Amino acid sequence: MRIVIAGGGQVGSSLARALAASHEVFVIDHDPDVADVFQSMDVEFLAGSGTSEEVLTRAGIDRADFFVAATGLDEVNIVACALANRLGHPQTICLVSRAEFLGTSEHGGGLGAFGINRVVWPEAQLAADIERIVTVPGAIDAEVFAGGIVRLLEYRLDEHSPLTATALGGLHLPRGSLIVAVKRGGRIFVPRGTTRLEAGDKVVVMGTPDAMHAVETLVHPGRGGGHLHVTIIGGGDVGLQLAQRLEHVPSVNLRILERDADRGALLAASLTRTLVLNGDGTDLEFLESENVGRSDVLVSVIDNDERNLLASLLGRQLGVPKVITRVGRPANLRLFERVGIDVAISARGAAVASILHQITGGASSLLAVVEHGEARVFELTVSPTFVARPLKDVGTAEDAIVAAILRGDRAIVPRGDDVVRAADRILIFSTQAAADRVRQFFTSESA
Amino acid sequence: MRYSLVVHLCGVLVRLFGAMFFVPAAVAVGYGEFHDALGFVLAAVVTLALGHLMRRAGGTSAEEAVERIRRVEGLAVVSASWLLIAHLAAIPYAWAGVGLIDALFESMSGLTTTGATVFRDFSQFGRGIFFWRSMTQWLGGMGVIALFVAVLPRLAIGGRELFFAEAPGPSEDKVSPQIRRTASLLWRLYAGLTVLQVLALSMAGLSLYDAVCHAMTTLAAGGFSPHPLSVGGYQNAAAEWIIIVFMFIAGANFALQYRALARRDFRVLAADDELRAYAAVVAVATLLLVLALGVSGGVVPTVRTALFQVLSILTTTGYASVDFQLWSEQAKMVLLVLMFIGGCAGSASGGPKVVRHIVLARYTLQSLRRTLHPRAVLPVKLGGRVVPESILQNVVVFFLFYLLVFSICTGIVVALGADIVTGLTATIACLGNIGPGFNQVGPMAHFGDLHPISRVTLTLAMWIGRLEVLTVLVVLRPEVWRAGQWSAEVRSTPRAGEAP
Repeated sequence: MRIVIAGGGQVGSSLARALAASHEVFVIDHDPDVADVFQSMDVEFLAGSGTSEEVLTRAGIDRADFFVAATGLDEVNIVACALANRLGHPQTICLVSRAEFLGTSEHGGGLGAFGINRVVWPEAQLAADIERIVTVPGAIDAEVFAGGIVRLLEYRLDEHSPLTATALGGLHLPRGSLIVAVKRGGRIFVPRGTTRLEAGDKVVVMGTPDAMHAVETLVHPGRGGGHLHVTIIGGGDVGLQLAQRLEHVPSVNLRILERDADRGALLAASLTRTLVLNGDGTDLEFLESENVGRSDVLVSVIDNDERNLLASLLGRQLGVPKVITRVGRPANLRLFERVGIDVAISARGAAVASILHQITGGASSLLAVVEHGEARVFELTVSPTFVARPLKDVGTAEDAIVAAILRGDRAIVPRGDDVVRAADRILIFSTQAAADRVRQFFTSESA
Repeated sequence: MRYSLVVHLCGVLVRLFGAMFFVPAAVAVGYGEFHDALGFVLAAVVTLALGHLMRRAGGTSAEEAVERIRRVEGLAVVSASWLLIAHLAAIPYAWAGVGLIDALFESMSGLTTTGATVFRDFSQFGRGIFFWRSMTQWLGGMGVIALFVAVLPRLAIGGRELFFAEAPGPSEDKVSPQIRRTASLLWRLYAGLTVLQVLALSMAGLSLYDAVCHAMTTLAAGGFSPHPLSVGGYQNAAAEWIIIVFMFIAGANFALQYRALARRDFRVLAADDELRAYAAVVAVATLLLVLALGVSGGVVPTVRTALFQVLSILTTTGYASVDFQLWSEQAKMVLLVLMFIGGCAGSASGGPKVVRHIVLARYTLQSLRRTLHPRAVLPVKLGGRVVPESILQNVVVFFLFYLLVFSICTGIVVALGADIVTGLTATIACLGNIGPGFNQVGPMAHFGDLHPISRVTLTLAMWIGRLEVLTVLVVLRPEVWRAGQWSAEVRSTPRAGEAP
């Protein structure tokens, strides 16, 4: 496939790196410094603007299958997509950073008229991800699927966890829930009945909402009811987005720390029941005077990795039980988690993964990326020629697991004797390496 | 400040006001009261002549300067013309035999929609005079200046300063970007509602004359009634319910009502912070009053009486459906608190206004929170929007001056022989443009027995209260006068020490 990317920033370069091996990739950027990054990659770099007809023509936009506009300017991205759509027939993906471009409808919305097929707003995506994690006590990742009938939670186990008592086969997890993955020592794998969980493991559990409630109380007993005190450090786009989302959750008691006085005034104007504090989130004295240590969750979303890390570690030091930190450079993700941040999360990482999946994923749709891209959850429809049989006889690839069968508006969290039929929709959890094989298996089998 | 411009504009407004006297003159002639009619014609002639002279006195340079009127000049024009018009509107009363101080009191009470009266004996006046009393309230309710801005094309641009000097709510509330159209639309809504109430009251059994007089004083939140026992004198429950509804309307923001009507979307009403607080105050006060009064006279009549009196005082109308002077101290306390609240901004009501109370309450709460979180950013919000610091200061200053004026006036009235309850309630009733107070100035009594100086003081309090204190007080600042000059001519280099 031919893919044209306008903008060689972090998103552009990550995409190009991932796609270069198997696709024809053109990258357009007017900054000569950026060109160096692409020297070592197997891509074609064009100096110029994505809004130039001449440059787009040189990139062969008329034969391109995908066009991704990922410059730092929303307006430029929109114009580039509109132009690309006029010159050829690529699927256009447009990155934006402000709410007004999203329109009212969910997909594309107000920008459909410009010939834009998909709008990606990484900061909003990040805020939504953080919101889900914040509201579940103890969880370090949380997702919902299929309109809320399937949930995913990720926990880190400590030595007191009841899940470490015996091998998985002997644990009586609530019916309707399933441990789909374990991450231990940097390796993620799908556990079997004989696997025994250990303290320090991260486990990913999926299941129906009722069952997951039972799981929550099993894994993280205590703390039920009452207010959840959340402190956000950094009132940028993500901080504001997150605060606006959390204001809709009645049990959340929220405050946000912002260093800049003018920005603080703007935050206070757009938020209704959040306490906006004007001060530096990396100032220990200030954090102490505002009793930040008493918060249940600390979210640090400053637009600077160093300061974010400092603020988060100070929060940890003050005794906040759960610390969520935004990471700008994807390379820092693992480092952050190693030094004691519970959840390190990157806006661009999620955006890149979701764009990659749209380009390479074909008919299946990516629902979530887990553990910084090492595993994913996707949905696919079973091929019509698939012969119905119980799951234990299907024999799927290693490192993948059917997490739920969606039939009608019901979700079945399967055990070995549940039957997969043709035309079922299924949710699959798989490691990144196994994803393609699993997809092949369910969508093309003719028995 | 350019005096010639102020004089000229006052002249323009006064001359137009002169035309108003012909309406009561016609009414008086219609009822065969020719002596009173002559008084109205005389007032018209005097007013027209004075207006014309003042208009000419400014010269052509003043005429040309109208479009470049400055804020302080707008405040001066509004303050001065209100005082002047009140004097001129008093001419018919004086002609009918009322003393000069009383005539001015009655005239100011009418124009400022206060509704306090010094008339001892209602039978001694004709229908023309009572019509004029009601009509002055109707004109003053939406604002004389607003009417003139709507009518006079010359004020299309300069009228902006005048309009907001007359109705100085905490924020500028417009229904059209053009001030002239705003004034015109609001006046049309006001007039339309008045017609509606006339029809409703007629159907409830009032004579056309009574219906017109009451409709004019209800929508103006005025409170004058041609009946010596006020609305209570008619013993008409249906009329009381109608007046309850229209009092509520008169106390709500007209610009908001216009927007709701124009868009056919009444959710904007429910979403308005001030209107909700206003409705809540009405509900709570009515409940307290019903509890204080007891329901021995039947639930519905008691609720009606309580609701009527709550709205009458809260919207600063000042009607009485019963003699609440006879009520218990607890019941009177409820009314006394309402006197210090007032209706919504942009309505016909007086008082400090609900919205200022909301802003002040939120400001106080935020200040308390600030002691807990010294670094917190705590804006005061109204309807989801941040209230700018300048408006906050304005609201605080308003309350301080309101209390200052209130204390001084009360001091004067009490010093000159009234008891304290009379002094307090007479002052708030006049400063808040309400009308009746308690004791000596109760709903069935009058202000005529107060000391003459008290009556003059209260007349000024009505004026200051109607223009919301700051308009008048700014104009009284000496520096405004020191920097004044007569000429309105545009000079390239200002010369020092030029004599007017």
